[in-house]
Amino acid sequence: MPTSRDPGDLLQGTLRILILKSLLLGAAHGYAISRWIEDTTGDVLRIEEGSLYPALRRLQDRGLVTSDWGLSENNRRARYYTITRAGRALLRAEASIWLEYSRAVTRVLRADPSLA
Amino acid sequence: MSDDRAPRWRRYVRLARPNVPADVDDELAFHIQARIDRNIALGLTPDDAQRDAIARFGDVDAVRSALVRHDERQHATERRAEYIADVAQDLRFGWRALRRAPGFTIAAALTLALGIGANTAIFSVLNAVVLQPLPYAHPDRLVTLGQGSSGEYLALRERLRTITDLAEWNATTDPVDDGRDALRLTGVAVTPNLMPLLGTAPMLGRGFTPNDGVPGSDRVLVLSYATWRREFGGARDVVGRAVRLQGLPYTIIGVMPPSFRYPNANVQYWRPYAIDAKNLGLMWGVGGKEFVGRLSPNVTLDQVRREVHTVWPSLRSANPIWDPGPEYRQDATATPLKANVVGASAPLLWMLFGATFLVLLIACVNVANLLLARATARERELAVRAALGGGRGRLMRQLITEGVMLSGLGAAAGVGLAMLVVRALVGGVPTGLPRANEIAVSGIALLFALAMAIATGIVFSIVPAIRATSGAAWASGSMLGRRATASKSHARTSSWLVGGEIALAVMLVVGSLLLVRSFAALRSIAPGFDPTHVIAARISAPAATYAPGSQRLASFYADVLDRIRATPGVRSAALVDQLSLAAPVWSQAIRVQGQFEDVTHTLPMADHLQTVSPDYFATMGIHVLRGRSFTDDDRAGQRPVAVVSRSIAKRFWPAGDAIGQRIGYPFDSPWITIVGVVPDTKQDSLRDTSTATMYLPWAQRTTMVGSELWLVARTTGDPAGAGAAIRRIVRDIDRGVPVSDIRTMDDVVSGSVVAARFTSALVTVFALVALALGAVGIFGVMSYVVSERRQEMGLRIALGASGAQVQQLIVGRALRLVAIGTVAGLACALIAVRPLHRWLYGVSPIDPVTFAGVPIVFAAVALLASYLPARRASRASPAAAMREGADGKAG
Repeated sequence: MPTSRDPGDLLQGTLRILILKSLLLGAAHGYAISRWIEDTTGDVLRIEEGSLYPALRRLQDRGLVTSDWGLSENNRRARYYTITRAGRALLRAEASIWLEYSRAVTRVLRADPSLA
Repeated sequence: MSDDRAPRWRRYVRLARPNVPADVDDELAFHIQARIDRNIALGLTPDDAQRDAIARFGDVDAVRSALVRHDERQHATERRAEYIADVAQDLRFGWRALRRAPGFTIAAALTLALGIGANTAIFSVLNAVVLQPLPYAHPDRLVTLGQGSSGEYLALRERLRTITDLAEWNATTDPVDDGRDALRLTGVAVTPNLMPLLGTAPMLGRGFTPNDGVPGSDRVLVLSYATWRREFGGARDVVGRAVRLQGLPYTIIGVMPPSFRYPNANVQYWRPYAIDAKNLGLMWGVGGKEFVGRLSPNVTLDQVRREVHTVWPSLRSANPIWDPGPEYRQDATATPLKANVVGASAPLLWMLFGATFLVLLIACVNVANLLLARATARERELAVRAALGGGRGRLMRQLITEGVMLSGLGAAAGVGLAMLVVRALVGGVPTGLPRANEIAVSGIALLFALAMAIATGIVFSIVPAIRATSGAAWASGSMLGRRATASKSHARTSSWLVGGEIALAVMLVVGSLLLVRSFAALRSIAPGFDPTHVIAARISAPAATYAPGSQRLASFYADVLDRIRATPGVRSAALVDQLSLAAPVWSQAIRVQGQFEDVTHTLPMADHLQTVSPDYFATMGIHVLRGRSFTDDDRAGQRPVAVVSRSIAKRFWPAGDAIGQRIGYPFDSPWITIVGVVPDTKQDSLRDTSTATMYLPWAQRTTMVGSELWLVARTTGDPAGAGAAIRRIVRDIDRGVPVSDIRTMDDVVSGSVVAARFTSALVTVFALVALALGAVGIFGVMSYVVSERRQEMGLRIALGASGAQVQQLIVGRALRLVAIGTVAGLACALIAVRPLHRWLYGVSPIDPVTFAGVPIVFAAVALLASYLPARRASRASPAAAMREGADGKAG
């Protein structure tokens, strides 16, 4: 599985939305978040996994997530992240902008003349 | 890199304080390891799995250091916030706790205010007088060489290499007439280089120039700031104004700034001292001039001392008028100017500081005791707080914060107290503390008070805090069960504290008793004359109008004497050049016929020489033992005569009769015949042991004593009324002659011991405070013992013990406690009072009366302080005590 992508490939805002969305399922450690993104996007939206952590710190600084140490499935010490109310609110707001945006782009692309 | 491989101890370290790099490592390692595990599960070789995991992750080191940096910053912020929140919470809790017990808070804060206030006050004085440098340029480079003559001054100034410049000054008092009032001002005659040497320029006008030191052109004055304000209204045009000094016209040329008060705060003006090098007798024969110099660059004090010690004795051969002998100036040395200015005040202030420090320690012990009692009362509150998760350290911090808040309150009140005390001290030290104008509760003193507050707060709360937290809920499950043991241990700690407190108080009381007994001994010394019904006044006839030796001067004083004798109520009156016990009465080297005639050898000294008019002995109540007193016939041109005191007669004619023997001045001059012998009198001070005095008739000495004399008058009734008469009589004769220092001789005598009275009074106040605090301490611990043992007392009474027996039990316990403290205190005092010896007179530092009396005082205090608790114990009703016990168990 070769991976080589620029860190700039994903917009910061996008990464934020992906992380917050992944946490809606419940508290998760960094690896689980990256796995969820990988699985959900069918490996299309690939992130550089290392960039996940500074992003998580930034979310934590803004009060969008909290973190705590816990034990992983295989009994290892891992840091778990939980989304806060502020995080959910932000996710909702950003998601609606995203959806509107992507719907608009989709409409543009489907308009005549067709691409084909 | 997995968590399992991390050392175990790290986890515990983390518990105490977050280990940021380790946490970051753990988090990242977990991620990479999880990815490797999955890769292997997907069938990759371990090597490939790891390579892929790291490739997916990106730059591990960059991410790691970014996270560490972020987390450390965040932890620091959190810790700070947490700490501030804790302190704020401690302060809030502390304030609430203090407010809940206002009686306790006020008692403790006042106790501390006394201790901190007294300390801050004495520190303020000590700091200004002893610790701060003198207000001159590079004051540490200034030295004094002691006293000498102008001839010696000029020779030393020329020869000393280790001194860049040397100045000479001598105190002078002159009648000054500004056209409105005739005043007697205190001044200093200085060589013109004195002020540049000290590095201070006048604030108005100019200072002296070398030309002002030339005889004939020396009629200029520089005023002190205070005199300028008081006598000249602070007028800026004062420069150039003419005044008459000693009846001669002088011009005011300048005003010094307020900080300049050399050599002391009494100086009202400076005038140039013109050295007349041609007058050899004046140059080399008149000593008492003070020499002050500035060290040359890169020269040490030791080098100066060595040079002075060799150069000054070598001047023996330079003396043109006599050979001062082989012992001449063998003790010559140099002293730092500050030591000279501060003088005896330094040990006195350090001693007082030590005394106030003892008071503060005692206050701390008392407050510690109060806190201890309170901690026991608050046991449940503390237990609950401990159970709710405050750790032991946190609880101790809370208690110490309360202590510091308490001492902060005390310090705030103490600083107010210190300001009052400092003002009283500066005004109340009548002998004049040096540098008094510089004394104030300064910024440094406030810092000192703050430091005191924090230090005492910690000191007095640490023992109760340790006791309370070791007690509190570390047995919260059995809070009630351990109550009896806790109170027993409280009583023990408290007893130790009070025992120590008593020991400290004993030291102070011993010191104060020694000083009071010294003062009493000093006060009981008979001065040798009878001071009651005698009044003294200084009459300063200006020398220009009333030249020494002139007929005009003689008839002026004859006129004054005649008129004062004619005043109703005045029995006799006389003149004397230097009043006993007002200021040092100078000594005089003498020749003794047939024994010491060779003026080239060291001559014996008469300790004091007084020049008097005929009725002096009758007026002062000095009885003539043998021979006769002076008469009006002992005048110029007649046979020179003298009266000597018994010590002189005994010393030179131990077997024979002094009457008819002859003595003389230490230079070639006619012999003086002794015509009378009188008892010794105290001259310089009541402690004076050098009382050998020689008296000469003023009429035969008018050329040698100047125009200023003291008038003494004996009255039939209260002498104070004669003062106004003296002033009026002199004014009627010549309004240009100032009269000053009108005082009864009783006042002069008590004024001479005022320093001793001041010292003993101050230390006595400290000792009384210590005694009172000690009594409060005993009362506190006994009350506690009684309240804790009420059941036992009730039981004893129920079993047939009488009230008196129970009282004895309690009082006996207090006595035992005080006995231990007293013995310890006396043992410490044996060593601690040693430095007191310089203020003691007539008592030994280990005075048996004092050391026997102190235990009695403290036994009385113990009885007094334990009486109320003991009475309460004896009234313990058996039934009530039992009931109370049952209630206690139920609660």
